[in-house]
Amino acid sequence: MGTEEISIAEVDALIAAIGRDERSLIPILQAIQEKYRYLPQAALRRIPEVTSIRPTAVMGVATFYDYFRLTPAGRHQICVCHGTACHVKGSERIQEAVERHLKLAPGQDTDADGEFTVKRVACVGCCTLAPVVVTGSTTYGHLTPNTVAGMFEDFRALGEDAGAGGATPLGEEELIPEIRVGIGSCCIAKGSQKVREAFVTALNEWGIRARVRPVGCVGMCHETPLVEIVWPDGARQTRVMPSALAGGLVNPAASTLYRKVTPQDADRIVREHFRPRGAGKRLRSSVRSVLDRLLTMPGGDGLEKAALDARDGQVCAFLGRQVRLATEFCGHLDPLDIDTYTGHDGFKALHSVLTGAGAEATIAMMKSAGLRGRGGAGFPVGEKWAVTRGNVDPVKYVICNGDEGDPGAFMDRMILESYPYRVLEGLAIAAYCVGAREGFLYIRAEYPLAVKRLREAIARMEAKGLLGENVMGSGWPLKLSIKEGAGAFVCGEETALIASIEGRRGMPRLRPPYPAEQGLWGHPTSVNNVETLAVVPWIVRHGAAAHAALGTAHSKGTKVFALTGKVRRGGLIEVPMGTTLREIVEEIGGGVEEGCRFKAVQIGGPSGGCVPAALGDLSVDYESLSHAGAIMGSGGLVVLDDHDCMVDMARYFLRFTQEQSCGQCTFCRIGTRRMLGILDRLCEGTAVPADLDKLKELGKEVSQGSLCALGQTAPNPVLSSLRHFENEYRAHLEGRCPAGVCKALIRYTVTDRCIGCTRCAQVCPVEAIEARPFEKQVIDADKCTRCGLCRKACPSHAIKVESRGGVQPLTTGRDAPSTIRGTV
Amino acid sequence: MIRVTIDGRETCVPRGATVLDAAGKLGIPIPTLCHLEGCRAGTSCMVCVVRVEGLKRLVPSCAFPVREGMVVYSAVPDVEQARRAAVELLLSEHVGDCEGPCQRACPASLNIPLMLRQIAAGQLDEALVTVKRDIALPAILGRICPAPCERVCRRGKVDQPVSICLAKRLAGDSGLMKAEPWSPASDSGKSVAIVGAGPAGLSAAYYLRARGHACTVFDEQAGAGGALRRDVPEAVLPRAVLEAEIGSIQNMGVVFNLGVRVEGPVAWEALRRQYDAVILAVGPVTADEAILLGVQAGARGLQVEPGTYMTSQTGVFAIGAALRPLRMAVRACADGKEAAFACDQFLRGGQARGGGRPFNSVIGQLTETELQGFMQGAGPGPRREPRKGRAGGLEPDEAAEEARRCLHCDCRKEETCRLRKVAETLAVQAGRFAEGGRTPVIWNRQHPDILYESGKCIQCGLCVRLTEQHGEALGLGFVNRGFAMRVEAPFGADLSTALTHTVDTVVSACPTGALSWRA
Repeated sequence: MGTEEISIAEVDALIAAIGRDERSLIPILQAIQEKYRYLPQAALRRIPEVTSIRPTAVMGVATFYDYFRLTPAGRHQICVCHGTACHVKGSERIQEAVERHLKLAPGQDTDADGEFTVKRVACVGCCTLAPVVVTGSTTYGHLTPNTVAGMFEDFRALGEDAGAGGATPLGEEELIPEIRVGIGSCCIAKGSQKVREAFVTALNEWGIRARVRPVGCVGMCHETPLVEIVWPDGARQTRVMPSALAGGLVNPAASTLYRKVTPQDADRIVREHFRPRGAGKRLRSSVRSVLDRLLTMPGGDGLEKAALDARDGQVCAFLGRQVRLATEFCGHLDPLDIDTYTGHDGFKALHSVLTGAGAEATIAMMKSAGLRGRGGAGFPVGEKWAVTRGNVDPVKYVICNGDEGDPGAFMDRMILESYPYRVLEGLAIAAYCVGAREGFLYIRAEYPLAVKRLREAIARMEAKGLLGENVMGSGWPLKLSIKEGAGAFVCGEETALIASIEGRRGMPRLRPPYPAEQGLWGHPTSVNNVETLAVVPWIVRHGAAAHAALGTAHSKGTKVFALTGKVRRGGLIEVPMGTTLREIVEEIGGGVEEGCRFKAVQIGGPSGGCVPAALGDLSVDYESLSHAGAIMGSGGLVVLDDHDCMVDMARYFLRFTQEQSCGQCTFCRIGTRRMLGILDRLCEGTAVPADLDKLKELGKEVSQGSLCALGQTAPNPVLSSLRHFENEYRAHLEGRCPAGVCKALIRYTVTDRCIGCTRCAQVCPVEAIEARPFEKQVIDADKCTRCGLCRKACPSHAIKVESRGGVQPLTTGRDAPSTIRGTV
Repeated sequence: MIRVTIDGRETCVPRGATVLDAAGKLGIPIPTLCHLEGCRAGTSCMVCVVRVEGLKRLVPSCAFPVREGMVVYSAVPDVEQARRAAVELLLSEHVGDCEGPCQRACPASLNIPLMLRQIAAGQLDEALVTVKRDIALPAILGRICPAPCERVCRRGKVDQPVSICLAKRLAGDSGLMKAEPWSPASDSGKSVAIVGAGPAGLSAAYYLRARGHACTVFDEQAGAGGALRRDVPEAVLPRAVLEAEIGSIQNMGVVFNLGVRVEGPVAWEALRRQYDAVILAVGPVTADEAILLGVQAGARGLQVEPGTYMTSQTGVFAIGAALRPLRMAVRACADGKEAAFACDQFLRGGQARGGGRPFNSVIGQLTETELQGFMQGAGPGPRREPRKGRAGGLEPDEAAEEARRCLHCDCRKEETCRLRKVAETLAVQAGRFAEGGRTPVIWNRQHPDILYESGKCIQCGLCVRLTEQHGEALGLGFVNRGFAMRVEAPFGADLSTALTHTVDTVVSACPTGALSWRA
């Protein structure tokens, strides 16, 4: 790879279409990369020649963001997700298997044929499918090292038509039954697009008048793809339910929810519910009786499928504790259907602000509602708006921070994908309140679906006069545009985000001055998180008091969490502040798997901390969490059980922040690296007792001295786990990993229970077991990657994990779900 | 104007000023590395952190704006600890030797690379100044020193070590015929008795006299030189050289009182009364003799305070073999110099604190590639044996050739490096965060006048900000992110095209030896 066959004229054309000032740099680079799959030197050199951008800026930006690469890439990109949920479910083993499959030498990321480039990605936000690999527009979930080869086969078989499924035309709004198919990323990843097509086909085939309606994420990601059959009267009933808080509840009498549906099931479900035309009238009454019980459909491929009734215990527990503000009307809205949104009170809030309440009163309302930023720090929204509004500078901006980068968090992705209008309405209200006429939505590049939907939503709003020169006829103009991130976690920090929009390296700067005083291009700017903005319209419609009535003394309202990890029912949940961790894990999440013990919750991602199960009664609010050494963060909530090593978790998070450090200040750039060095030694069994003290001291110094929140909070996962699980750290000093996780400290061995069936040898992905029929098998410890496949395959439980001093007994008989695939 | 209080002292500064500005006005020293007046703040090194009342975290004073009534703490333990940690972290990825291994191995800490550069350039007078800054008897030592410097010389790993000792001898010999370069400072009005005219005593006398004190050297022998005269054969150290070098000390005004034995409590007391300070350079001392002198002794010799050489009696210092058995005359010379420094502090009415060894960043073992890098720019060929034989020493042209073989392991910013100064001021532990795999030593010699050693760069970004500020067409920029971040010219440009009119600016602004003038 080396000779660069690029056309300068093409590059010039790309630049001409985008712009020639500094703020165009990232879009220019994105366009070049889109075209050539990398950034050819010749193209980079061209930029300063035809723009006002400095050469150092071009190279600085091109090498700052993960999205850009300077060497040619393979025709397909294989993104191995290393989000928290994927990590605890063995993403490292998947990474190794992918690299083995492509025969990559160490340090190499592209195979010899230039077909595939492998990339480690922080989190693709499909945590409930962990471990996940994304190739092109196809997502593979629940992978094991042994199914990786099959994944490649499948991907090659898919060929170019992957992800073709077009939008299904929607009929006129009339009272006909609806078949609602989830189209959140999780649902799509599990094939909901194909399911949707299958339903359309089935309805057409039988000539049934029903509408197949795509809806946003329902949050029950553990059950996807979800299909809900709703009768018109039922839908009506749901819509007029007295309490707004219950708006998201599925009305048990009116609908049936099917989980884990495959395209093959569509025909059958259709026939169960509707009488084919010509075969007589609808079998409504008989269907009703069917709905009243849990309906199990025998699946052909071994996947369990069942119709869920909201009165079913599981669903009640999952949904019952939830209160939906940001995710109001969950499961009822087609994300891009502007009329349904309007029908569900959409844009009422914006209208009332523009025509009645006005900016000052709305700001006061946010203050008395007690709305605090949902991005992590919890700064009062009303105050931020008031400061921005109060500035004498006539030019002001609003920014929606959608750079959700925490591994293990996908709240913002889901909200953006499922409720684009709500976020835009919230942003418009913010803009009006602070006095801005222009706003930006900064969205992670890893969320292509969110970007696509928001672009479309903005266009549709402009077409209806809800955005643009004269918003809702008020005479006030508002222009909203999307800025795609380029892969840098630190850009979630507001000053770094602003630098990125301005077209520079995403380097945070010292605050004060705060963006509300001096932000984008030096003008006062209010930066609010996605979830925060999504709550704003609700507050305007229901009043400050309704919001303030929810939550605790200092933390009002609700919080959306991405519940993942070792929990039975993972998904997106919205609960009132003050809900306890135990309620979330046990009641909503259904607890950990049989035979495992709930050990801790990692909350707040790489900036947060581990809260031990013993503190399960901790109320989830800003103050309590911070007191326990964690933070609310953006809402990642990863449940850990006794097979998760706290030192390994701390190392995982620190490696993440360390890799994401912008490098500006000493404490974060070098301090996190040195902390990671100590954690590496701990996990390898080479640490000395003095290392623990050094780790604590350095952790304090890094959090005290770092310039921005990334560095200041980076030591949290380490310090909090040291605080609650110091014994586990001490065990590592003695060369033991009690959870049996740290590779260097454990060994897989075969006991005398071995019957010589050689199944272990057959599944071993690295040939660490040589098949010896009818003999006791032997594992080559040097080749063994501790992936655990042999243990799962062994019928006689003859393979055990050893660490000095023993490990906690590992549960058996937990079969991994089959690999699943879906195309966006 | 805005009122600010720092460490309990109040001042007024204009709106928009930083905490650092306010501290400057109060004369409160706050260390900085990435800060430069007239250049926008970098908030990178975090060495300038302070605590602001009401804030949970520490903040960089260089950029933190003052607010009315702000209360700031700079001289408090947690702030000092954080500053120290910042420097320790920077040092953990800073790869470079402040002083060359030769200088660190030299008991007298002679700046050997500098001396060799001067000799290579034919500047013997300058070389003599360099030598005599640390060694009072270079002509003598040039003949008898076992040269620990040569044992650690990196050139020895390639072929043979540089002939340092003979080069020094040439410089020393050149001084025998000339006026003393370190002529005495103005008279201090203080007097010192130095008992013993061996290398330690002579050295002490030289440096005390150079600082303006009246020195009298006592020795029971009729000729000065002690063990040098007694134990070294004429063939190794011609008496003429010995006499000439002692003569140059005498010429500075040092009084030699030879053939006199200071014996008994009365004589000792008289000496103590007559002189403001006494330096004992008497050679090995028995326990009985120590009792007579009234100073504390241990098993090996007299006991002194480390660093200052002061005995249990105020104003009485002890050096050389009086402290412990000595094998190297250069160690005795070093004692004399260091004790003179401490004694001078004492005589000037202060506390004797001693100089102490300066802070040193140390690379450690080099890789083969790095060694090859060090060889670039060094003269070729094996070590030269003098035409006149070893006893004859090197001729100036030979010495210059030989000196060119030096790899110049020292840092070109040895004296001006801000990182080294801050490290010393904060008394950091250099190896606190040292890790196994260190940054490689890499030289960029693309520019004819300057060296860029990326391993010494602390990513402060001053050069990046300055080249932009001063409108360099290419300039320097950051590439990569986080720990992998580096300063580079864009598009792989040559340093000589990247830096044009800003060379002076960036070299002097660079707080470490990353950007330096070539020797």
